[in-house]
Amino acid sequence: MMFSVHNLTKTFTVGFFRRKAVNAVNNVSFELDKGEIISLVGESGSGKTTTALMILRLIRPTSGEMFFEGKNILKLKTREERKKYWRQVHGIFQDPYAPFNPMYKVDRVLYQVFSLYDKQLDRKEKDEIVKESLNAVGLIPKDILGKYSHQLSGGQRQRIMVARCYMLKPKLILADEPVSMIDASTRAGVIELFMKLCNDLKTSVMFITHDLGLAYYTSNRILIMRKGEIVEEALAESLLEHPQHPYTKRLLNDVPLLCSKWKDF
Amino acid sequence: MPLVSAENVKAYYHTSAGSVKAVDGINLNVSRGEILGIVGESGCGKSTLASTLMMNVRPPLRLVEGKISVDKYELTSMKRKEIRSRVWGIIISLVPQSALNALIPITKTQDIIKDVLKHHLKNLRREEIKNLAKKRFQELDLPIEVLNMYPHELSGGMKQRAVIATSTILNPKLLIVDEPTSALDVSTQKIVLKMIVDLRRRGIIESVIFITHDIAILRQISDKITVMYAGKIVESSTTDEILENPIHPYAKGLINAVITPEREVKKRGLSYIPGQPPDLLTPPTGCRFCSRCELAKDLCQKQEPHLTEIRRDHFVACHFMQ
Amino acid sequence: MVKEILIGVFRIKKFVVSFSILASIILIGVVGPIVYTVVPYKTVGPPEAKPSETYPLGTDAYGRDLFAQVLNGISTSIYIGFLSAIVGTAIGVVIGTIAGFKGGLVDDVLMVVTNIMMTFPAMLLMILVAAYIEERNVLYVALIISFTSWGWIARGVRAQIMSLREQQFVFMSRMAGLSDVKIAFADLLPNMASYVFMCFILLTSAAMLAEAGLSMIGLGITRGYSLGTILFWARMKEAVRRGLTWWFIPPGAILVAITTSLLVTATALDEYFSPRLRGR
Repeated sequence: MMFSVHNLTKTFTVGFFRRKAVNAVNNVSFELDKGEIISLVGESGSGKTTTALMILRLIRPTSGEMFFEGKNILKLKTREERKKYWRQVHGIFQDPYAPFNPMYKVDRVLYQVFSLYDKQLDRKEKDEIVKESLNAVGLIPKDILGKYSHQLSGGQRQRIMVARCYMLKPKLILADEPVSMIDASTRAGVIELFMKLCNDLKTSVMFITHDLGLAYYTSNRILIMRKGEIVEEALAESLLEHPQHPYTKRLLNDVPLLCSKWKDF
Repeated sequence: MPLVSAENVKAYYHTSAGSVKAVDGINLNVSRGEILGIVGESGCGKSTLASTLMMNVRPPLRLVEGKISVDKYELTSMKRKEIRSRVWGIIISLVPQSALNALIPITKTQDIIKDVLKHHLKNLRREEIKNLAKKRFQELDLPIEVLNMYPHELSGGMKQRAVIATSTILNPKLLIVDEPTSALDVSTQKIVLKMIVDLRRRGIIESVIFITHDIAILRQISDKITVMYAGKIVESSTTDEILENPIHPYAKGLINAVITPEREVKKRGLSYIPGQPPDLLTPPTGCRFCSRCELAKDLCQKQEPHLTEIRRDHFVACHFMQ
Repeated sequence: MVKEILIGVFRIKKFVVSFSILASIILIGVVGPIVYTVVPYKTVGPPEAKPSETYPLGTDAYGRDLFAQVLNGISTSIYIGFLSAIVGTAIGVVIGTIAGFKGGLVDDVLMVVTNIMMTFPAMLLMILVAAYIEERNVLYVALIISFTSWGWIARGVRAQIMSLREQQFVFMSRMAGLSDVKIAFADLLPNMASYVFMCFILLTSAAMLAEAGLSMIGLGITRGYSLGTILFWARMKEAVRRGLTWWFIPPGAILVAITTSLLVTATALDEYFSPRLRGR
């Protein structure tokens, strides 16, 4: 197994005098193999984003372990080891505005990742790689480079984030609600990009989303998360046909469908 | 006689850079007892249309042209004061986007209802107001404890239902809702949608204009669907007809871009429309979808297509369907 | 980007007016003593003479030229103000950034220190320190003032850092392997630049008033002239009671003019930065 999570827990303490412990993520375990696409599905507050941030080493778990290619990623001591990890496991987030620091041109978000490369490249080589990645995600370099984030559309910005991943050719990408803030007509383009990355580079993708439709369309396996726990895990088809957990059944029942009408309405 | 009739409505935002033609020549009819869904992506003008139909038009937005009639009132020839006292809340009610974020944190639900009732029915006593509120909440299966609670004590879904109940307390003929469920999870969404349909079933309201970007919701609750693009209506028909036989390339693309957990959707695949909507400050001549349309020809750039009835009750604005 | 800011900010009327006043006074303070070469500490005329052609602002009780004193005083006061502001802002930004970024114990400790500094009466502390230093030059006075004034800047910076820290572009930089220090400098501080700059301006204004206050009770600079020391001598010689208006009004008026124009400049800058950020 390329990537595995064991008993991952994150507890937040809330309150001033009467401190209460809230388990945002409670004993979560799952595995992910090379070239797989899985989705972690849950509604807001289910803990799915917290899980993603822990996998990306942006938040410390309270307890639990994670292994990537045999290495315990919570015990990476040196900055070199951590950089190596981020070279291979990278993230894309929901809000296409947010990943860009408004003070800088969007180029920064792409050129930043060269510090994760093994060897030093000169300016010309870097420019080549950046242009190639932008082309690979369907963007024209001269329309993008040199601009600020507010000058570009949501779809363009999200594609830049995929281009960033493309430059790294990571083994695993975590995409947190990558299309929920993009117009429907341009969504398919970004989704196809992820599928392409998986097909061409054998990159595994883990979608974090509330949208069962997106999960079913893209993934081999779906994990349903509720209140910090994984309540069901199944192959996409099985989940649709034979949901086991009552929460999953309720979700499938309440999602508005295009091809059939609600019966109990 | 349709409940709502809008003819050639044009509403522009006047800015220092020029006028943004957000709603540019809309013709719309809503029959009595009908739920009409208006669908479109960001910037298509649907929210502006909602405000305009209610005549809630304040600078920089201006109603430039058009006639709007609701029930027996011709709104475009009435003074704002009259519309406020005789139409808003009583004939038409609007629940705008993010209405649940606009609740004043220090007022209980029943106080908001009290304000609405007192404004229109000046002679009601406190007891009568309380009873009216209670009765309506019971009718709609809303727990009456909610009346005595503050907004922060209520969940998102409950807030939205309280807002909708308050907006319809005076039994308006038309309810306009703008993205009422986009911030809610699926199960809560279903409850709110059921409530809206219930309001019609119980005769509390007659018709609904439901504005959203989510076509799957409209499949479940609306009788007719109207697709907007760049300030214009591109296609309009009954729900079944338009979802099974969309004709306009944009409508087709939009419907085929819907992702739901259904085998047919996975088999069908997702459509993708490259490009972006035009700048409404200087909209292009001719068809506004031309630059993104794969069927586009010379004619499309020069002449704007008009909304014509292709089949019975199926209207399309496209040159190829003539 | 800087060009954009300059063009935009000069469009605001408030800014143009206050900045012009400020710039003129500073210019007078710098160029004045070079042009008007009368030495301020020498007796050059009859004591307490009213303003006339030879003595544009009259003379003080020792026959010294007041106009010369004021001209020299302006630059000294402003210099102390700027110096205090630079040091105070620097301390506040560093402490605030470390506290906000690191969090945890470091944050708690730094905030205890900050809170103590803020609740301690600044004037009292300044008086105590100043009284123990025999020879107080411009640097000492500036440092004394800056050590008691960085508190609220630290808090403000800390709050901004804490909110910026959770922004996704920080996550992006972290995943690109940037170290904490680099993230603080490259990602966070530029977003706060406008805030820090305004703090600097407000601190200058406050520092000038603090210096005037210290000087008026005799604990300012021991040699030389600042607007505060002129007022000190005016007070010592009971200028107010005796109606020697030309002595105490000019320095006071100029002090008010500088501090007010600084405050209005800060307000105008705030106006410029806020809607712009909202517009994004």
